[in-house]
This record gives sequence, structure tokens and C-alpha cells, in this order.
Amino acid sequence: MIEKKDFRRVERLIWELPQETRQDMRVPARLFADAELFDAAFGDRTVEQLVNTATLPGIVNYAMAMPDFHQGYGFPIGGVAAMDANSGVISPGGVGYDINCGVRLLGTHLDKPDVMPHLENLTAAIYQACPSGVGGKGRVRVSERELDELVVQGSRWALKRGLAHSEDLAHTEEGGCLPGANPGAVSSRAKERGRPQVGSLGAGNHFLEIDVVDEIYDAHAADVFGLRPNQVVVQVHCGSRGFGHQVCDDYVKSLQGAVRKYGITLPDRELVCAPLDSPEGKAYYGAMACAVNYAFVNRQVLAMGIRGAFEQVLAGKVRNFDLFQVYDVAHNIAKFEEHDVGGQRRRLCVHRKGATRSFGPGRPELPDDYRDIGQPVLVPGSMGTSSYVLVGTEKAMQLTWGSSCHGAGRVMSRSQARKSIWGADLRKELEGQGIVVQAGSDKGLAEEAPAVYKDVSRVVEVVHDAGLAHKVACLRPLAVIKG
Amino acid sequence: MNGNGFEEVPHTADVALRVWGHDLAELFVNAARGMTWLLADPDTVAPTVEVPLELDADDAEVLLVTWLGELLYLNERDGLVFTAFTLKQVTPTHLVGQARGGVPKELRTHIKAVTFNEMDIRPAGRGLETMVVFDV
Repeated sequence: MIEKKDFRRVERLIWELPQETRQDMRVPARLFADAELFDAAFGDRTVEQLVNTATLPGIVNYAMAMPDFHQGYGFPIGGVAAMDANSGVISPGGVGYDINCGVRLLGTHLDKPDVMPHLENLTAAIYQACPSGVGGKGRVRVSERELDELVVQGSRWALKRGLAHSEDLAHTEEGGCLPGANPGAVSSRAKERGRPQVGSLGAGNHFLEIDVVDEIYDAHAADVFGLRPNQVVVQVHCGSRGFGHQVCDDYVKSLQGAVRKYGITLPDRELVCAPLDSPEGKAYYGAMACAVNYAFVNRQVLAMGIRGAFEQVLAGKVRNFDLFQVYDVAHNIAKFEEHDVGGQRRRLCVHRKGATRSFGPGRPELPDDYRDIGQPVLVPGSMGTSSYVLVGTEKAMQLTWGSSCHGAGRVMSRSQARKSIWGADLRKELEGQGIVVQAGSDKGLAEEAPAVYKDVSRVVEVVHDAGLAHKVACLRPLAVIKG
Repeated sequence: MNGNGFEEVPHTADVALRVWGHDLAELFVNAARGMTWLLADPDTVAPTVEVPLELDADDAEVLLVTWLGELLYLNERDGLVFTAFTLKQVTPTHLVGQARGGVPKELRTHIKAVTFNEMDIRPAGRGLETMVVFDV
């Protein structure tokens, strides 16, 4: 049983567990937290799962958990681990079931007073335009062949179909297309599940939100990202729907055999993995990349639905109802990146599970207009609480392979939430704060209530103070749309 | 839900059931009934559809994940939830049976996937038990 005393505090906000703590660890483990969040890590299986992650073959430097960590399956949520591209493994347990779950932020040219008279109509129009809820079908129907093209081309497919602006692609991680997608590695069942769902929100913790920019912390970065005080913006939080869930499900099962074949010893079956250069590892990467691209298209199609809703409600009533894309980030992904390791440039497969890329200035992966300052890091809060826009840093490149947190992180189970929180009461409370709520069910509302999450502001302060990303703006919700 | 061979246990991020049964077949049926209870109110389901199932896997845990995953897939594809199960043959690597169910009045939870997290089919009391954690 690992205890708090086994960790040493290497910096004020970095807690390190030495490699010697458990015999099967290949590297030390690091938690990024203040004292209170550090204590919380021992309230569930976060530490155990982080230590398990440290046992994976080819892991470089550390197994790390961002400050929004909590228990997951395989990796903890908030987990970051980089594997050597030649000697390391790739693990579906380091990506998660909702492959490329992520966040898109759209900016408007409108201020809060422009939108407030139309807020309820706008919320209802977005709810209509963006299918949500359990088993929701998407805005777009695709044939089998089209789906294969979609998952290889990602957002480029959407652009060709008139479902994107070219500027959207430049402001999407990976340009909205992760290379190496192989539809041949995706099961027919995953494709069957994915075909009807392109452009759908789903249920659970996924949401659309109309926000107002409440506070600016870094005026220059905000200006570069197109953000200003009192501006109305829109967040989209969702992933790869049934397509990605099935890809993960298929490979968590099929790679069990690869673990035996390659003689890998694992402390947890959900950490199932295969060498990156093996046929099994390549197959998973190719299928995962398809799901990554599916999710980029999914958020893209939803963004176009939101644009349509703005036009429908605001045309003739405001000067400019168009929405531009600030950025789109993935927070469940594994991909190849080059990083400095002990002064040498190395190609690594970086797993981010409930963690956001936070690349600092100068990285070639960033779009021209953001390259001088670093990428936007989008951190959605829980429903009804603030969200944050941060900017990636050079320090994150050194400490965490350019990674940061992805949200608030849960602290209460859904069953406990249902027992202690009434959805109808919560709806009234949010409405009492002036927040318009459009949700499929009160039960779903209760399960995602702010009280079931850590305080996102606290998580963001740790990220900021640790230098993993710097605060740019705070967003306050005006309207929430949930499945 | 104690009398039904399953109970929900708190899980920070996801949904977990503790499931038990006298033997593997009863454990599998109780796990399926537990998943149904999470998905919808079983009392609102008229069992109008019967689905035959024959599944193979490397071991009992993989078979359990496959079994529940199969029922979950039919839920997502056709909106079905299943309330009655007949398992003619269950070994740790092979299952033959059928599930009967229908479309419920409303779905109450969306389950993304059945995970291996904390799954460990082990002897307990006079039978077997395991945890099943669902990604939601």
C-alpha cells in the first residue's frame, strides 16, 4: 500500500514517487498538485493506477498525473506517459474509450448585451441543431465508403463537404487530421456504430455551452486568440461517439493476446498494450487515428450546426452573427511527437488520457498566428461553473511533454450524486444564477452537477503556478445544453 | 437491488456493479440484468424480441465483457434492453444462449463500454462474484 510519506516533494507543486517504491516500476511517478489535491489522490485508485502506468515497457522519464487526476481504468484520468517510438508500447488504456474526446472553442463578434435578449431562442435553436442524448443520431448521414474517407481525412473531409471553413482546420490540433489512420484496422461494428452518429453530442459529461468572457489575465494572448472582455463564446465538448468506444473495446479485448505473445507483464488488464512496432500495435494506432479523426469531424459538424443556429436566431438582429474558431483540442489521445530527452531529440508516442496538449512558443505543430505565444489550452469547468482558456508554455515542454489538465476532475460518483442532488433543484439553482438550461433529463443534470467535481479554479491555479500553462481568460456560462 | 444478484457500488468517474451468482451462468445473467437496470426501468420493457447469442473468448473475464458488450451493442443499434436470459451452455471460454427484451419507454443511462477495470471472477460465499465497471 503506497502512502503519502512514500512521495517526496521535488517542487512545491510536484510530488514524486521513486522508482524503487514498487519492484515493477520502470520510471518514477509524478503528481502535479497542491497539498489539498495531493491528499485527494489517496481517496481513490489514482496513485495505484499511476504506479501501474509506470510499469509499461518503453516509458520515458515519468508516469505523470495532471492536477485534475482521478481514478480511471488503466491510466488514471489526467494521466500522461510518453513511450519510446522504437522500444515502447501503445495502450488503449492510455487513451480511453472516448478516443479524442475534446473541446472546441468558438468566438463570436458579439458582446453579452447583444445576445441576452435572444439567449433562450438561441439555446433552443442550438439544442435543435445539435442532436444530443442517449443514442442520439447525428446531423450527417454517410455511406460506408464515405465513412472510410472521413476517418482518413478528418476535418479535410468536412471542408470538402462544405461543413467547415478553412480557418477552422488551421485552428484544430493536428489540423483536424491525425496521420496514419487505417480504416482496414477498424471493425465493421465500429463503423456500423459510427455511421449514424456523425455530428451528435451524446450524453454523459458532454455539453455545449454559451459563455461570456468574464475576465482576461493575459491581454496579449487573449488578443491573439481573438478574445476580449464581455465577448460571447461557445464551447463544444464531445468525442468520437460509438465509433471510438467500439475501437477501444475491440482492442482492449484483442490485445490481451498480444500481451501474452510479447511476454509483457501487466498489473491491470485495462493497461493492455502492444509494442509500437508490432503488427498489433500498428493496427491499434491505425484504428485509434480513425477515431481521432472521426471526433474532429464530429465537433466540426456540430460547430456548423451552432453557426446555423446563430444565423437562424440572430440574422437581421445583430451586425455579425458569424463564429470563428479559437481552437480545438483533444484530451484523450496517443500520438507521435518529438521531444527533448536529456538533451537529445527523440520521437515519442505521448499518451494523454484526460490531459490536454499544452505546446509552448515555437513548436512547428502550431498554426502561424499562435506559434509565437503557444497554443490555446481549453479547460472546461463543470456545468454552471467557470471554464478557462490558457496558453501553452516552454516549461510544460520540459516537465510534461507539453501537457496540462483537461477539466475539473470528478470527486463524487454518479450514484452518490443521484442520491444527494436533485436534478430539478439544480436546474432551478442554475436558472436562479441566470443560466439557461436545456437538458434531456434532470437525472443527467444531477450526475454532472458542479458539486461532483473538483473546483476547476483550484486545478487551473495549480496548472498556472506549476507553469504547465498560463491563464489567459475565464469564461462564465450563460446557457448550458446537455444530452 | 441486493436480491437480484447485483448491487451498484460508488465509483468516482464511472458506474460499477458488484455481481454474484451460484455459478458462471447465474453470474453472467445477473451481470446482464444489472446492466439492464442501469440502462432503463425493466418494468417498462415488453420482451418482444429474442436474440440468439454464441460467443467465444480467451477466458471468463473476456467472455463476460464480450457478453455484456454484445447486449450493449444491440442497445445502441436497436434501442433494445434485455430482461430475460436463457444460457444453455457457459464455460469460461464459450457461451450459448438467448436474450429476450424490447424497447423501453426511456433510456436512463448511456453506457459507452464495459471495462475490465476491477473485473476478477473469483469464488465467494457459495458461488462466484466480480465487479463490473461501466464507462459512462
